[in-house]
Amino acid sequence: MATRTVCQLLQRRYASTAAAVRPPAAEVRNQRNAVFAREQARQRALYPRVEKIEVSVRGPGLDGTLLIMNRGMSTPLSCARHLTEHHVTNSALALVDGELWPLHQPLTNSCSLTLLTFKDSDPTMVNQAYWRSCAAMLGQVLEAAFKDNYTVELLSPPEVPVTLGAFCCDVALDPQLDSWTPSEETLRSLTRGALQLIHQDLPWEPLEVVPSVALEVFSHSRFKQEEVEQKAAQNPKGTVMLYRCGDHVLLSGGPLVARTGLCSQFEVTALHSLGQGPWGLHRRAQGVSLPLQLPAHHMVWRKLRQRAEKLVEVPRPEEATPPSLPDSASDQPATTSV
Amino acid sequence: MRLTLQMLISHGRVARKMGMGPQSRINMLRNILTGLVRHERIETTQARADEVRFYAEKLVDYAKKGDTDEKAMKMASFWLTEKDLVPKLFKVLAPRFESHPNGYTRMARIPCTQNLDRAKMAVLEYKGNPFPPIYPTKKQNELTLINQLLKGYREERAQLFAAKS
Repeated sequence: MATRTVCQLLQRRYASTAAAVRPPAAEVRNQRNAVFAREQARQRALYPRVEKIEVSVRGPGLDGTLLIMNRGMSTPLSCARHLTEHHVTNSALALVDGELWPLHQPLTNSCSLTLLTFKDSDPTMVNQAYWRSCAAMLGQVLEAAFKDNYTVELLSPPEVPVTLGAFCCDVALDPQLDSWTPSEETLRSLTRGALQLIHQDLPWEPLEVVPSVALEVFSHSRFKQEEVEQKAAQNPKGTVMLYRCGDHVLLSGGPLVARTGLCSQFEVTALHSLGQGPWGLHRRAQGVSLPLQLPAHHMVWRKLRQRAEKLVEVPRPEEATPPSLPDSASDQPATTSV
Repeated sequence: MRLTLQMLISHGRVARKMGMGPQSRINMLRNILTGLVRHERIETTQARADEVRFYAEKLVDYAKKGDTDEKAMKMASFWLTEKDLVPKLFKVLAPRFESHPNGYTRMARIPCTQNLDRAKMAVLEYKGNPFPPIYPTKKQNELTLINQLLKGYREERAQLFAAKS
């Protein structure tokens, strides 16, 4: 244990020097993992004695079901386990007292729970969360894809509406890779990496932390620290949500779905260069994916994939009128009446 | 008639025998047809529903000729045993099927009766009846992920097409 703290001290000393002197990716990952695990253990230890809470489950055929769960330990997934296997495999997100709650986050008070799936009558929130999770998975694959001597900086993935046809993840690669253009083989190997993640069926573990712990987690990345400060300022509670998938810790703007196994078809379609930014050459990686419960015929999948290869222009919230580019769709859901 | 072997073998004979003879058969079909015109959807055995279908459609063809027609009125009053249904036939059913050339009825097979005889049952109805449909159409949810992606795809194609032309 003493050696661990010594290593952490040394790593913190490394972080204070210029960003070019960065420890290898594996060490960064281990450090982030260690801080995450420590914070998770500390939050779990806040409830030393088992206290019971009452959770009333809402849903088709379930109205009036009352479950007695443990405070700080039971998650919406454990509530689903008390119901049926169908609920466990199909629920992607939970609604606790009207608030979106990731499936693996522990419940703290007596509440009403609704389990959301992809086939509800109104799955817009689940679709958004799924899109965010796919972008997070793409970021994870990109970070693990390159060799240790190249730095990969994951920029904040933009909030893309589902109708644009592709989720995107912005990266700023090492300056040595500025002249590198991705070929079809690279995209296919990235896809294979993502499919491996899906096959492993890793859960996305959420953790709500104070900004100081988040800053410690991302002590090697200046961009991520700025993002932490931004998100903490936006959140009324002042905390930041971190998610861990396997050994990769990431920051997210909203709730993610329960586990990687919920995706079935996943394809990384393109990697476009956007231009020079403050962190280096901005690249936008795009992909398209579908969940396990909504399979697509291969002809439909091919058409969706072809559409996802085109560059997605993120609609800016300041623009009142939709831009004239054919790729952007109107970002006002109220106007698209079916 | 000469008693031949062919009389005993019924290969290729499509006409059904019902009841106690041809007259009984017509009376049975008359009763079923009256019930069909009154309720617009009835449940009987498959064989009877199949037989009544022919007569139900022919009755509507006669009704389309109008109630001033001598033959049509005779047919309607013969086939409908309850005489209060004759104006319903001419005033409700005939105008409903004005645009249809044929095919005024629909037959759907349903599971066998649970009685001892395990008879094959069917439901016969006139189209355009006020009841909920026998084969309910499954509504596709427009808001699922795959439908949203396809909606975006279709809109983009429409935009490109409009830009090209």
